[in-house]
Amino acid sequence: MSLKLIGYSRKRGVVTHPYPKQPIEVDEHYRGKPELEFEKCMGCGACANACPADAITIETLLEKGVREWSIYYGRCIFCGRCQEVCPLTAITLTQEFELAATSREDLMVRAEFKLAACSECGATMDITERQIAVARAILSCSRELPDPEALLEAARVCSECKRKSTAEKIIEATKAYGGGV
Amino acid sequence: MSGIENVVGRLREVLPENAVCSVSVENGKVYVEVQPNLLPDAASSVYWELGGFLSTMIGTDDRYVDGYFRLYYVFSIEEGREEERGKPWVIVMVKIPGDKPSFPSITPRVPAASWYEREVRDLLGLEPENHPDPRRLVLPDDWPEGVHPLRKEFKFDERPEPVPSEYQFRPEEIEGEGIVQVPMSPLHVMADEPSQFRLFVDGERIVDVDYRMFYVHRGIEKIAEERLTYNQVPFIAERVCGICGYAHSTAYCQAVEDALGIEAPERAEYIRTIMLEIERLHSHLLNLGVACHLAAFDWGFMELFRIREKIMKAAEILSGGRKTYGMNLVGGVRRDIPRDKAKKVIELLREVRREFSKTIDIITSNPLFLRRCENVGVLPTHVARALSAVGPTARGSGIPRDTRWDHPYAAYKYIRVKPVVEKSCDVLGRVMVRAREVMDSLDIVEHALDGMPGGPIMYDGDIEIADYARGLGYDEAPRGENVHFVVVKRDSRLHRWRVRASTYNNWPSIPYMSRGYTMADFPLIVGSMDPCYSCTERVVVVDVKSRSTRVFSHNELIKLSRKASLNIKRG
Repeated sequence: MSLKLIGYSRKRGVVTHPYPKQPIEVDEHYRGKPELEFEKCMGCGACANACPADAITIETLLEKGVREWSIYYGRCIFCGRCQEVCPLTAITLTQEFELAATSREDLMVRAEFKLAACSECGATMDITERQIAVARAILSCSRELPDPEALLEAARVCSECKRKSTAEKIIEATKAYGGGV
Repeated sequence: MSGIENVVGRLREVLPENAVCSVSVENGKVYVEVQPNLLPDAASSVYWELGGFLSTMIGTDDRYVDGYFRLYYVFSIEEGREEERGKPWVIVMVKIPGDKPSFPSITPRVPAASWYEREVRDLLGLEPENHPDPRRLVLPDDWPEGVHPLRKEFKFDERPEPVPSEYQFRPEEIEGEGIVQVPMSPLHVMADEPSQFRLFVDGERIVDVDYRMFYVHRGIEKIAEERLTYNQVPFIAERVCGICGYAHSTAYCQAVEDALGIEAPERAEYIRTIMLEIERLHSHLLNLGVACHLAAFDWGFMELFRIREKIMKAAEILSGGRKTYGMNLVGGVRRDIPRDKAKKVIELLREVRREFSKTIDIITSNPLFLRRCENVGVLPTHVARALSAVGPTARGSGIPRDTRWDHPYAAYKYIRVKPVVEKSCDVLGRVMVRAREVMDSLDIVEHALDGMPGGPIMYDGDIEIADYARGLGYDEAPRGENVHFVVVKRDSRLHRWRVRASTYNNWPSIPYMSRGYTMADFPLIVGSMDPCYSCTERVVVVDVKSRSTRVFSHNELIKLSRKASLNIKRG
């Protein structure tokens, strides 16, 4: 019996992997550490919305003029929902899995996106500059919309100014008919 | 649907005449509302006369909807229908007035209900009258009386002031000449829960076993009910268990799909089936390996774990993760299986098949291993029946229960899986069930990968949520049937989510399996049920007469089990 086992085992040889001296190869679609490609991201927050573990959070700070994005790898469950919902493929799950760190802070990654200013009054709006840039890129290649430039202009005006200009237009219109307000 | 009509007819025959309030068929399940005072009669007729097994029991707090608590006893009608595929579900429901929260216990007539009724008592404050064992089950010992966390007025982040008190282990009635109590302190049960055992031993022999569990009850159901929407829950459902998590998320998704009246596309069903079988493979190989380790047959342990690594690799290729697959959402799956990956996995599985069949032959013909497993931990068929045991524990005791056959779901509707049954009722029987199921699973995965139909992997029709829609989801996890019950509200949140893990139905059989065997057998017996292999932190032996104590460590207990094998070897 024992002899048989020895023969069987010898044929298998040593299968223990000399990790960590040699790195372990994972599958190409392994769900490892999610990484943000800052250049691609427009800060829309779709990932934060989808994240079931609340590892990704997003906060708009109007007084600072920025939108803060952050991921805390300590909470991440590597499900890949963020990658799935990202409209710009800015966040992807990498093959990296060695995430041990000595402090919590090391597991945190933050990004800041500049908020756009209203083209009329200059106030900070709840939309990032990059979101407007993306809107411009989409509108510029759209052939179905009649006046993309006007739409884009509208996107760059804050809601307060929009309300004002609408009110002014109504006043103008009523004046034209000779009525008061 | 003649099967259903047949059951409804039989129900009217066996139930006491004045007990039934209403009978309705919802999504192919029979709901019977009965008078609370006649509940024990009704439940025991369904259990014993109709041949039902108790699959789960759910208590819901509907006081803010219509002023009642509700209890649902879910029975799967199986006895006498062994050859039938797609067996009926009968759900016995009672309404309990919100101001008088008590009901007659069915446990004296249906022992399988013991844990369920203790649980609703703890979590919802519904008092089971005449329950033979009214001790706490779920809530911690220092939890104040009268605070019930699953009631709707209790907020999920509330932390009541602890009230010091101690759990009462079974009374001293077992005391006697030479009988010693062996408490095993909260032990990290490998999979589900750490628990505390108290063995009553006479010398080496176990006279009786008592246990205390739920040290890590995490309140996942409460979090899901209060904080999450139904599509966020699959990820937390996958974390109910560290070994059969995917089975939980599948059962959950199927429950919600049942409630919403939608169906996952066929390709998604196949992908779920493939992942479920991959999970079964890794879990069975792990358990078989552990059984070898406990029997001091480490060659088998090493060899099975080496083979298991290939399954982990297959899971990584298919899902991107070794253990948490994260593939399910309500309505389908998130990740497709392309042709080239399927091919890679099929190749891996063929290697596994070749190596496993050789290895298991060697293990099951090893005289030492056989002597440790044969006629040890016998769970007689009638006990398994009375306790509604599930999975390999039931099948090893000669009961042909397999959800894949009894209630075909996902792709098991198209792939037939016959239950694997062993009649020996001992540890070896359960080992053999697992060994044979490994081969079946390999067949199923290969067949499914090969014959997967094309098409979408996610339901993309409209979803309309009827308020308080009920749904039942079930699947065969590696250790047996998992049953999830949901009540969905219109705002896409859950009013109630009840998880019933397979081990829940198997635990109560531990005392029956252990009586009469030695302490050295105990780890092997518990391990054969596959909840754990007694990762004991420490074990204290108390001599009742002299009050002397001796502390055993986890390693010492395992050493004891392994030494028993060595003693056999030496003759």
